[in-house]
Amino acid sequence: MQTMAFAEPMVTVEPLIAVRGVDKLFGRRSRVVTALSGVDLEIGAGEFVSLLGPSGCGKSTLLRLIGGLHQPDAGSVTVAGTTADAARAAKQYGLVPQAPALVPWQTVADNVRFLSKLHRGSAAHPTLSNGEIADLLAAVGLTGFEKAYPHELSGGMQQRVSLVRAFALGAPILLMDEPFAALDEITRADMRYLLLELWERLRTTVVFVTHSVTEAAILSDRVVVMAPRPGRVASERIIDLPRPRSAAMEDEPAFHEIVRQLRVDLREQHQ
Amino acid sequence: MVATAPDPTATGSPRAPRDALGQRSWFSAASVAVAPVLGITLFLLGWQAATKIFDIKQYELPTPSSILSSINGDKTYYLENARTTLWEAFLGFAVAFGIAMVVAAIIAHSRVLERMLMPLVVLAQVTPLIAYAPAFVIWMGFGLRPIVTMTAIVCGVPFLVNATTGLRSVDPNLIELARSVDASKWEVFVRLRLPSALPNIFTAARIAVGLALMGAVLGEFFAGSRSGLGYSVKVAQNHNLPLQLWGSVYVLAVLGALAIILISGIERYVLHWHASQRR
Repeated sequence: MQTMAFAEPMVTVEPLIAVRGVDKLFGRRSRVVTALSGVDLEIGAGEFVSLLGPSGCGKSTLLRLIGGLHQPDAGSVTVAGTTADAARAAKQYGLVPQAPALVPWQTVADNVRFLSKLHRGSAAHPTLSNGEIADLLAAVGLTGFEKAYPHELSGGMQQRVSLVRAFALGAPILLMDEPFAALDEITRADMRYLLLELWERLRTTVVFVTHSVTEAAILSDRVVVMAPRPGRVASERIIDLPRPRSAAMEDEPAFHEIVRQLRVDLREQHQ
Repeated sequence: MVATAPDPTATGSPRAPRDALGQRSWFSAASVAVAPVLGITLFLLGWQAATKIFDIKQYELPTPSSILSSINGDKTYYLENARTTLWEAFLGFAVAFGIAMVVAAIIAHSRVLERMLMPLVVLAQVTPLIAYAPAFVIWMGFGLRPIVTMTAIVCGVPFLVNATTGLRSVDPNLIELARSVDASKWEVFVRLRLPSALPNIFTAARIAVGLALMGAVLGEFFAGSRSGLGYSVKVAQNHNLPLQLWGSVYVLAVLGALAIILISGIERYVLHWHASQRR
C-alpha cells in the first residue's frame, strides 16, 4: 500500500507538483473571464489524482498550467523543484488529449514513439525500450496492429494507442484531459481498467481530468472536486479503495458511498 | 485482464482486404482503367461520324482519324516540339512550386503577411495572363525567360493558396502534443505541418499541370519562339494547316493527361494514409 502514503492529506516531503495561489484569466472580446481563482493543489509522486467538475470549472486549464502549456497570471506552479516550463522542456509530461490525435500517416508502431522522437535528447529520463512498448501494446490488446494505420482502427483502439504513446515516453507525469469522453459507454468502462493496468506497471504520477463521478472514483487515489465561476478547488477526497481496483468493486457499498459523497460535493457547488 | 483480444469493432484488421465483395471490387478496378478510354474513344468516333454526316470539310474540321495519321506520319516533328513545350512547362511548374512553398511556409505563420500578400495573389489570378504576356516579353526579351516567368505566375497561385491552407490544417491536438514535449517550430513544421499539407499540395499540382501547359503555349505565342507546340499552333494558323493545328492540340492533351496520371500515381503512393485515396 505504498501509494496510500502519498494519499495522506499531510504530506511532509516536498510534493512532486505544487500549485500555489494560482489565478488564470482569459480575455474574450474585451471581456476578462476568470478561469481559475486562488487554486492550491499538491500532488505527490506516484499519486493518481482526478480533477472532477462540470464544464467551465477550469479543470482542463489547471491541467495545462501544470503541464506548462498555459502560464498563470498569479501564483506559481512548481514541478520537482523547477517551473512547469522547465519540466516541459525536460520532457517530464506525457499528454493524453481528449481526441486520440494520432498522426494519420504513421503506423501504430511509429505513433506510440511519436513523443519520444520529438525534441530528441532533452528528456531527463529514459524512454521505454522496444520490448516494454511491445508489452504495453499487448496489455491493451494491440499486438498484431503495429503496422496498421490509424484509419484502420476503431475509436477505442485509437485511444488505446494514444494511452500507450503517453506511457511510452517514460515521463514521470501523465496529464490526461478527459481521454475517454468521446468513447461509447461500454468502451469507456473497459478503457478505465486498461488504464489502471498500465498504471499499475509503471506507477507514474497521473493528473486525470474528467466530468464522470464514477470514473474519478474508480481510478483515483484522490479526487479534487472543482467548481465554476470562478474556477476553483471546492473539495478534495481521498479514495481509500484497495488496489488493484476491479470492476467488481463498482458494486460494493464502499464504492457507492464514495460516489454519493462526491455527488454531494458537486451538488453543493451548484447552489 | 481486459480486452486483450483484438477489437472486433475495428473497421479492418491490418493488411486485410478492405472490400468484402472481392468480385465487385475487381470489376470496379477494371472500370477505373477501361471506362475513361471507352469515353474518349466514343467521343472521337462521334466526332468522326459527325464530320461525315454533316459533310464538314477537312480544312474546316479534320476528322480524328486524319489528325492521328498526320501525327503518326510526322512523329519527330511533334516529339521535338513537345519536348520544348514540356521543358518550358516543367520549369515554370518547378519554379512556381519552389517559390510558393517557401512563401506558404512564411505566411502560414503570420496572418499579417497573409493579409498583405493574398490580395496580390488574387490579383495575379484574376488578371488574364494573355493581357500581361506581351508586357513580360517587352521587359525580358524573347526566349525562355518570359515563358517560364509567365508559367510560374499562373502555376504559383494554386500552389500558394493550397499549401498555405494545408500547412494550417494540422490537428490542433497534435500541435499541443508537440508543444507538451517542447518541440521546436521547425520540428512541428517538418514532422506535422508539411505532411498534413501534402493532400492540398497534390490537389494544387493537378490544377497547376493544366495551367503550366497553358502558360507555356501562350508564352510561345508571344516570345518569338522557334519551336514548341504553341509555336506549331501559331504557324499552323498563319499558314492554314488544320491538321498540324489539331495535331499539336492532340499532343498537348496527351501531355497533360500523362502528367496528371504521373501525379496521381505519386499521390496514391505517398498519400495511402489519406481519406482521399480510399475507394
